[in-house]
Amino acid sequence: MKFNTDRKWLERRAAQEDRHFISVGGLISTLDPTCQMQASASIPIVETTKTAFVRLLQLTRRDRRLSLEKLAEKADVDLAELVKIENDESFMPGPRTVHQLASVLDLPAKKLMVLAGLLQAKDPSLQQASVRFAARSEPIGNISPEEHAALEEYVKFLNER
Amino acid sequence: MNPKRTMTLNLTDQEMVVLEELSVQKDLSKTALLRQALRLYQMVDARISRGEKLFFEDPDKQKAELMVL
Amino acid sequence: MRQTIQIIDSQTGQPIDAEIFDEITLAHFIETQADWRPVVLEAARALAKDPKRATLIPSHFHWDWTRKEAELKMLALRFYGISCKARLQGIMKVDTVARSCRLPEQQGKPLVYIDYIEAAPWNIKQLMEPLGKRQQFRSVGTRLFEAAVLQSDEEGFKGRLGLHSLPGSEGFYIKECGMTPVGRDPHKQNLLWCEFTPEQAHRYLAGE
Repeated sequence: MKFNTDRKWLERRAAQEDRHFISVGGLISTLDPTCQMQASASIPIVETTKTAFVRLLQLTRRDRRLSLEKLAEKADVDLAELVKIENDESFMPGPRTVHQLASVLDLPAKKLMVLAGLLQAKDPSLQQASVRFAARSEPIGNISPEEHAALEEYVKFLNER
Repeated sequence: MNPKRTMTLNLTDQEMVVLEELSVQKDLSKTALLRQALRLYQMVDARISRGEKLFFEDPDKQKAELMVL
Repeated sequence: MRQTIQIIDSQTGQPIDAEIFDEITLAHFIETQADWRPVVLEAARALAKDPKRATLIPSHFHWDWTRKEAELKMLALRFYGISCKARLQGIMKVDTVARSCRLPEQQGKPLVYIDYIEAAPWNIKQLMEPLGKRQQFRSVGTRLFEAAVLQSDEEGFKGRLGLHSLPGSEGFYIKECGMTPVGRDPHKQNLLWCEFTPEQAHRYLAGE
């Protein structure tokens, strides 16, 4: 590729870029000049691991061919809450629910609490592993061999530490 | 760019006509057009393999399912 | 593809060697989440405190990075990165089959569609200023955009390019880059579809 090597061209373009937000998509994609921010204290920092939490529940449930109803029954938790957990990522589940789910699905309870945003994460590699896991999985549909492998790897990681 | 490999393509007269017409219409070389076709095929195939469905929608908003690859 | 290009070091004001490449891996995406997100959040908090800048605030952070690993195998997609001083400074995803031209004079012809383009937050002046910091590198976004136009040429699309501009970027793509605003897209949150003809693309590359 033949990039422009003219210094003046680069400087001019850089100055133009500095005057605007040129991002399309990505992290800053929702910068909207007309929108106002709510209280800055409520900025969600747990978003990444939360997605992994929901995805982990969904995949484990699908892997064992458990309907939401069956899972609610087995875990002795409220079905409505389970539905909310799977469909609304901003919803914060109760600690008891997370604990029960961990027990029934054979997942480490404390880790699950961290992923759900109920406990503080101390392990920085958890964030990375969570991103990786969520990037390799889908929320709906049949569990593919790739997803199965991703799920196994992630659960192994959670159990090891 | 990635190193390229050469392939000989045997097409019928009819296929060749279509290829040439599409090339003109899309303002693409025949090679570039076939490359686009391959990319589209891979993309559609990957999504259908994941369980998605491909639909066309006519101007009256009637959906018809595209034949699965 | 891996090439040395120049971007501008904000500290010295001088051009500095950087690398542009398209061998993006999942690790790069993880890097953007882990490294960039906290800085964007910090900048958002600072923006929130300054009433003059209160309108430039991210309403939410949602990046659809699910399925990224599968996407990396698609021929139709190309993911670019720019690295400098051993760190990712910008990232871009383009798609060569998803969309085609909408301008009447080139309706239906293929183009390179910029799905996303972003410089690392420490390179964005408007995010660093509220934090009282200087941006690290300049022209990162420019180089990525230039790569998209060059790819369009390489593909045989003659420079044809398309993207959905955010409200805050319309001025940049239309006035500074010279793209044509075609219309608001109801299928994409009414964002403005902007398009390059071959002439416009080459004027941009030549610096007119």
